[in-house]
Amino acid sequence: MEQTRPIKVAQIRKDRSLANMIKRNRPAVAVLLGSFVLAVFLGIQAGPSQLINTFVTGGMWALLAVGLALVFGVMNISHFAHGESFMVGAYVAYFIFTPLQKSLRANPNAFLSTIAPFLGIIAAALAGLVLGVILERLIFYPLRKNTKSGWVMNAFLVTVGISFIMTNGATLVMGPNFRGIPRYWDVPPVQMLGIRVSVDRLVAFGLAIVTIAGLWLFLRNTRTGRAIRAVAQDETGAQMVGINLTFIHTLTFALATATAAMAGAALLFMFQAYPTVGLKPLYFSWYVVMLAGLGNVAGAAVGGFIVALLQTATQQFFGINWEDVIPTVVMVIVLILVPSGIFGSEVKGVQEQ
Amino acid sequence: MTTNQPLSTADRSAGAAGWWEKLKSALLRIGFTPLGLVMLLLLAASPWIPPFNQEHYLRWLIMGAFLAAQSVAFDFTAGYINVVNFGFAAILGLGAYTSAILANTSPVLAIQPGISPWIGIWVGAIVAGIVGLGLGVITLRLRGIYAAVMAWFVGMALLGLARNLVTLTRGPLGMSPETFLDTNANRPYFYIILGMMLVVYITLRLVTRSHIGLAFKAIGQNLDAARASGINPTRYKVLNFTLSCFFAGWLGGFYAHFFGSLTPQTLMHTSKTVEVLAIAYIGGRGSLWGGMVVAFPFVFLTEFIRSNFTNLPGLHLIIYGVLMIAVMTYYPGGLSGAYAWLLSKIRRTRK
Repeated sequence: MEQTRPIKVAQIRKDRSLANMIKRNRPAVAVLLGSFVLAVFLGIQAGPSQLINTFVTGGMWALLAVGLALVFGVMNISHFAHGESFMVGAYVAYFIFTPLQKSLRANPNAFLSTIAPFLGIIAAALAGLVLGVILERLIFYPLRKNTKSGWVMNAFLVTVGISFIMTNGATLVMGPNFRGIPRYWDVPPVQMLGIRVSVDRLVAFGLAIVTIAGLWLFLRNTRTGRAIRAVAQDETGAQMVGINLTFIHTLTFALATATAAMAGAALLFMFQAYPTVGLKPLYFSWYVVMLAGLGNVAGAAVGGFIVALLQTATQQFFGINWEDVIPTVVMVIVLILVPSGIFGSEVKGVQEQ
Repeated sequence: MTTNQPLSTADRSAGAAGWWEKLKSALLRIGFTPLGLVMLLLLAASPWIPPFNQEHYLRWLIMGAFLAAQSVAFDFTAGYINVVNFGFAAILGLGAYTSAILANTSPVLAIQPGISPWIGIWVGAIVAGIVGLGLGVITLRLRGIYAAVMAWFVGMALLGLARNLVTLTRGPLGMSPETFLDTNANRPYFYIILGMMLVVYITLRLVTRSHIGLAFKAIGQNLDAARASGINPTRYKVLNFTLSCFFAGWLGGFYAHFFGSLTPQTLMHTSKTVEVLAIAYIGGRGSLWGGMVVAFPFVFLTEFIRSNFTNLPGLHLIIYGVLMIAVMTYYPGGLSGAYAWLLSKIRRTRK
């Protein structure tokens, strides 16, 4: 039985002292403090380059996890095929960017070579948007009409099927080869904190931050964004005040796929494009979502960095083979101690029956 | 019937009918209809019937029975208490690795206990059962999706362990455990796995036919109502998980000692769970037998595709995915639902 934590609204309003905030969010504070200590330790032991790494991957996990959290919060779908959107993004970026790069090598143009990677990334995001709309209309819409009970589990298993089809479909169409690029921008790395950081990494991080901020502003301030949040809070209520549920669902799903595809495109220099490239991003974004609490969009953005820190620290101290084992074990412990995540789940419909 | 006094024809027919009814009810208790029994006997005879007596078809039959048994054990949790054990393949792999390590005699690995596979598979099953017990204890306070994700995470941790404990498992290189028998023939193995499949099916069927099964169904359909009527969901969920994982580990032992090769990726990966899940769902949730019937044609279909369309890798997995989505979206009852519908239709026309 899910434990419902009694929220004393009046008390929160009255007492905003730090001591009380800490008291109310003990797990969150503990994890944040712990990750701070870990970050400092990692910085001393391995140097700032590992911290930069943490920020780049953290930004991307956060971006992926935000999409995952949004889809769960609004549509109650535990999206297992999120990594496949990442894969599609990587492929699209590769097939847009490499021909461009080839033609640019033949006749160099400074402006175009700055812009070309962005073209690839934007194309990937658009492809993700289209993919999201297709998946929603083709599968989740009829499923929603046909499902009477157990929606959460059914939707989850259907996404598992989608992931299966898309991974193997990619193998079928593209073959198992790895397609990658060494870097997007042929420029020397930037000096930062005494170490060299490649422009690609900086841009990837910047893109993640800008997109998350943009998504946040969109959800907070626009009419459509408010409608999305309304659907997340209460579907029936939202429908009653005249919100087009189908449109909101499609939009949310498409946004999530688009951001995932964009992440795949932006990280093409790190992850190459191959059929099962989406697995690792999927695992890590799921860790983030479970750590932050299912459906908690703001928590997912913060959680991305915590998980990335855990990942980098594991790589540093235990070796790359343990990279997904130790975070998994930590997540299992987190789930045992605080099942609704350290920031608390905002989703009411977790109970499926 | 050898009685000295001849029975009248009426008596005889009544006696025969009574005998028939008795047999039917006895069969039903262990989960077989007469039709099911006929199919089972056909299956048992198939290694002697051409073309199935060829070695590679026999191998497919073995894989079919293996998948069928897995789907029964999987459906026992997914179809009854409505918790999808997403770490199923990893638990199976745990049993396989335990048994394989216990049987190991090669000096490549750190320990060489050299225990017979016939004992090892039981140890593997018990280890898997204990992990299932732990998993059940952890997940019982979480609902639906949390439990699935939790099982998934535990499964991934197990996979990571199998990959990284190189001194015990040789990691991604894989180990080659002892086989059950000193023979290359597949026929004996077919009867081993067929027997194992029947043990899994009949045991779990007996459990679901008892009051425990009723409690499982109640928990799966409405947890709060079940609790209100005096069922302790915790205890039943843990029991269910433990049993299912026990059999998964047991079947894993068969895998290890039949194929004689064991790598983490080919056995414990999440996609293996998805294959079992697809079979169980296409067969029909909560029926146990549905997946068992579907598994055989499926293995033949996928192996046929795999061996004849080698230029299209992964096509058979796409078919799995498409069928699973189609069944879930448009016909949630699966094969067992279709069978029930057909049966009711026939009964109605008879009246």
